[in-house]
Amino acid sequence: MPRLSLQNATAPTRLRRAGELGTVAPGRFCIRQQARYTHGGHHGGSKWRPMSVLDEWAAKEARPISLRQLMVFGRTLTEARLISSANYVRTELPTRISHRIRDMQQLPYVVVTNPHINEVYDLYYSAFDTFRKVREIKNLQDNEQFCDTIRAMLKAHLPVIPKLAMGILECSEVMGAEELDNFMNTILKARISRRVIAEQHLALTDTFHAPWFSPGAKLSETEFIGEVFLKCIAKEVVERCGEATREIARRAYGPDVPIPEIKIEGHLDASFPYILSHLEYIIGELLRNSVQAGVERHQRLKSEGKNPGAEPKPIEVTICESSQHVIFRISDQGGGVPHEVLPYLWSFSKGPASERLLANLKQVPKLAATMQELQVEDDKDAHGKAHRNPSYANSLASLSSRPPNLRLGMGLPLSRVYAEYWAGSLALHNLEGYGVDAFLQISKLGNKNEQLTTRATMDSV
Amino acid sequence: MKRIARPLRLPRPLRGSVLPQYACRKSTLQHLQESTAPSSSPPEESPSSSPKPSSGHHHRYATRSEVDDEVPELAKQPLHPLSLADLVKHGRPPLSAEALLSSARFTLSLLPIRLAHRIQALRNLPYIVVSNPNIRKIYNNYQHSLSTLLPWQGRTISNLDDEIRFTEVLAELVQTHTDTIPILARGFLECRKYIAPAEVTRFLDEHLRARIGTRLIAEQHIALHFSSTPHFDPAASPTPCPEHPSYIGVIDTALRPASIIDSCGGFVADICELNFGVRPTWEINGEPDTTFAFVPMHLEYIVTELLKNAFRATVENGMSREPIIITIAAGPPDDGRHAPRSGVVNLDVPRAEASRGSLGNLGSDAIAPLDDNAPGVTIRVRDRGGGIREEVLPHIWSYSFTTFNENDDVPGAWNDDGLHAISAASNGSSSIAGLGYGLPLSRAYAEYFGGGIAVQSMYGWGTDVYLRLKGVGKIE
Repeated sequence: MPRLSLQNATAPTRLRRAGELGTVAPGRFCIRQQARYTHGGHHGGSKWRPMSVLDEWAAKEARPISLRQLMVFGRTLTEARLISSANYVRTELPTRISHRIRDMQQLPYVVVTNPHINEVYDLYYSAFDTFRKVREIKNLQDNEQFCDTIRAMLKAHLPVIPKLAMGILECSEVMGAEELDNFMNTILKARISRRVIAEQHLALTDTFHAPWFSPGAKLSETEFIGEVFLKCIAKEVVERCGEATREIARRAYGPDVPIPEIKIEGHLDASFPYILSHLEYIIGELLRNSVQAGVERHQRLKSEGKNPGAEPKPIEVTICESSQHVIFRISDQGGGVPHEVLPYLWSFSKGPASERLLANLKQVPKLAATMQELQVEDDKDAHGKAHRNPSYANSLASLSSRPPNLRLGMGLPLSRVYAEYWAGSLALHNLEGYGVDAFLQISKLGNKNEQLTTRATMDSV
Repeated sequence: MKRIARPLRLPRPLRGSVLPQYACRKSTLQHLQESTAPSSSPPEESPSSSPKPSSGHHHRYATRSEVDDEVPELAKQPLHPLSLADLVKHGRPPLSAEALLSSARFTLSLLPIRLAHRIQALRNLPYIVVSNPNIRKIYNNYQHSLSTLLPWQGRTISNLDDEIRFTEVLAELVQTHTDTIPILARGFLECRKYIAPAEVTRFLDEHLRARIGTRLIAEQHIALHFSSTPHFDPAASPTPCPEHPSYIGVIDTALRPASIIDSCGGFVADICELNFGVRPTWEINGEPDTTFAFVPMHLEYIVTELLKNAFRATVENGMSREPIIITIAAGPPDDGRHAPRSGVVNLDVPRAEASRGSLGNLGSDAIAPLDDNAPGVTIRVRDRGGGIREEVLPHIWSYSFTTFNENDDVPGAWNDDGLHAISAASNGSSSIAGLGYGLPLSRAYAEYFGGGIAVQSMYGWGTDVYLRLKGVGKIE
């Protein structure tokens, strides 16, 4: 089976697939790639992709999973289970990608030919082509090859989020904000879903091959099952993210600028299973917003001659645990969101601020960098256990570690996508002139299925 | 007085020997020329003993078909989109005679249409609902009020005598409709088997908002009138209008929310002490000295309702030692840098259901009701009352939903005082839970001037309520 090389992450490879031309049934809808709308390695000519293959995959339903299923599945790991997981991923990935490709094909022509969106479209199509051709995995060796393919895809798709964001900002003139947001939310949710199942499988494979592992062994509670951290202790997550955020702020603003403290109260023992990187991203973004607002307000008041006190007011985090949920309330006194910004708060289109944000997006540090490279050395958490060190690139980590003045305008809408992915929610209440309260609700039991988009909105040809 | 059973639908009015309660406009004018005063009797509680014009109409509920009167014509006319500018455009009291007359004429131009719209809406409710005695009473009130105003149409208020009489008509109108809400509430509760809750909600959302506007227009003129009289005696006015330079009619241009919170807090804490033996405390932080232009009565109503909820939850959750924290945030002043804010806000349109948000709906638009493009005051009431149960959360904005005695039939005798507590916060009510109209009505008041209320619950900990009030702005 010919394998596409996806090592070069910056320019999607363009291959002519001679055997695939001319098999288009009459009346089928085809996309012709215009040479001038692509960039990087294209050498003229058009890309003719037969729709019948895509149609076949797009007609299949995605099979959503829940955190609990992820956990239970991985709890007693055997070779048979690993192979079974591999085959689940093998068919789920192309199915889910095909849905998104179909979605993109329905967008206005002028949007999909935007260079950034077009690049993402090509990335997706390449991934689809790759994965649909993978044959059934029968043994560990097949699995090894398959995992390599997955790792390559994950790496190649790292730039997708900023590229989409840039494309959306550039297209806000030609397409309605609401439609663009729906598209973005759908595609991001789907992206999370694919990465979850892909990364979970990679993590299970790593665990299986780990020297300390023996098949069928039960994992203790404080461990990870794949990517799912069984016992995220709410308080510890907040403390860790808080420290990381304050550290980044300290480095960015300099030693003379006071940074607000983060105080935690409430049900401090609350814990739940979750995918740690997701949780850290959301809480990190919320805390980052609060810290930034606090620092900037304090500086502004000082420069206006009003006396704001020695330090900015602390950020108050309250954790509330009930039988079904854990809620984080993050209350700051950073001055609130100006009312002219409010309509764009949850949108990927930013109205008047688009120009500035586009420029910032282009500066996002190379997304292949991992948290470890950009953060302070000491990685171990309070109990001395080593923090997760994934062998593949984590796209969230580098977003989280960007300097605070690099505003991308994506933090809130993207956090909400993550929060809602496992049937949680993220809400914000504004006290203009005073501060903001953010409420993150997590489903504690892990028994809610992924919230994927249904196919009802799609054109099923 | 014997009520005549109304036939369902008549193509022509039955005239017979019964003179219609309100004749067509022409004969009303004629009647006006004959009599000296349209209605000059002092305001009375019962609408059925309305003042009778001298031409001798004595059957109040005529058999004349409802489709044949002025209401459909008036209801066809559009509602004037009311703005606060309208209310203050006549100037600061004491008003000159001309300004007062202008205000009277403006009021006259708006009210009959508004009443007609309400009557029309009531007429479109199911027959069985309007047959309920309570609903029927309100319906008759509206018809009566319209009948007192109709004689004034087609004639200009051009002298102070007219203006005085007109103000009396307004005062009677306001008085007649004081208890509309508890009576409507009771009526709908009795009819709940015959009408879907969604329809009730739709009707009430529109009706109560319209009522806020109508009363505001009337009360504003009354207050302007009394505060412009040569020897201003605030006690003479049926509508609160303190003698204070910051007041323009019922609007206080320098209203300090912290003062309202403290006084309402005291009142609600008294009730708590009476009912539970415990007196919750509260703290105000943020910017307590903020002032803005608003209608004190409205703010008092909202604050009382929110504090009632917070205090009750706190006490029932055994957390009465924890103070309720109230934060007052003042939006920054408009520095003119940004796009001009939307001009006239149409105050009568209830916001779409879709924009309502609370964590219970996992609403992704939780910010929507407060996204008004204007500076204002935001008040956050934060309690440790344990939060709102998830099953309850979707219903908090419904009318007649209360967790207090919800299995009862229509609330009994103990609630007679409770009914008054709903309509006027200053009455001596001894109950802390009413008919479940508190939250939706508070939201109607808040949204009326472009603000809103959002409720965020953390079940197991407490509740945060965000009251956003749009400031009136600078009034010259």
